[in-house]
Amino acid sequence: MKIALISSYGGHLNEIMQIVDVFKSYDYFFITYDNFRTRGMNEEKHLMDNIGKNPIKMIKAFIKFYSIYRNERPDVIVSTGSEIAIPAFILAKIMGIRSVYIETWCRVKTRSGTGKIVYYFSDIFLVQWPDLLDLYGPKAQYYGGVI
Amino acid sequence: MIFVTVGTHYHGFERLIKKMDEVSLKIDENVVMQIGNTEYEPKNCEYYKFVEEEQMLDLYKNSDVIVAHGGEGTLMDALSFVKPVIVVPRLKKFHEHTDDHQIEISEALESQGKVIVIYDVNRLENALVEAKKMSLQQTKKSKTLAKFLEDYLRELKI
Repeated sequence: MKIALISSYGGHLNEIMQIVDVFKSYDYFFITYDNFRTRGMNEEKHLMDNIGKNPIKMIKAFIKFYSIYRNERPDVIVSTGSEIAIPAFILAKIMGIRSVYIETWCRVKTRSGTGKIVYYFSDIFLVQWPDLLDLYGPKAQYYGGVI
Repeated sequence: MIFVTVGTHYHGFERLIKKMDEVSLKIDENVVMQIGNTEYEPKNCEYYKFVEEEQMLDLYKNSDVIVAHGGEGTLMDALSFVKPVIVVPRLKKFHEHTDDHQIEISEALESQGKVIVIYDVNRLENALVEAKKMSLQQTKKSKTLAKFLEDYLRELKI
């Protein structure tokens, strides 16, 4: 089984690193933003431009994800956000790739912009604080945080 | 040593860095700051803009108190060292972030007694005194989420 771990750099990447041991018995790789820190990562990785709020970069990200998915053929994608998860999960849905979204640890009482969208495209939707269960709806599940 | 860190966010954190530079003159301890994209350059303390991971870990390790912005990555790292942590959330009204979401995680951690949170940097000096009195506990890493993911992946049988 091949797993793609997807996150922006900084805190979101830090979150996924907290649970990286879960994936070590499988073939896994990262898809994250290009940055001085991520360039130094030893793991197998694909680096892309930070999307931020730029619509053109968002479109480019869709194309990039399409090519990564076609070449790498992941069976499952897992993400802790942020907006990099939007193209990742929409395309995964279209291409029939299983997906697990973990709402970021810093969202305790309010939904993230990414979470609001990805909720509809993910197979499994996890939150790290219990107050978010009702806010998101029946698909949301809570099994504690990454730390 | 007091280690101040404001992460890699593209906004600066002038309010905290300026205040800490000022406070450093009034206290005995050595202050080291990672100022990120803050434009103000500290005059009284050692500082770095950005720091490689390894040096960052050393700075955390060698610190007695950590003063951090409310970024999740920073807070996760800071908490793992079991040191007193003072959090100053970045606020939109001071152009320190695009919104006020850092308050959410800061408040949650404060209510668990894991950090001291201040919103007004004039409270910094007091908070540094309070921080020394904090009772610290190694946070036990929750394993339930990892277990859920392990089971989910195993049951896919791919």
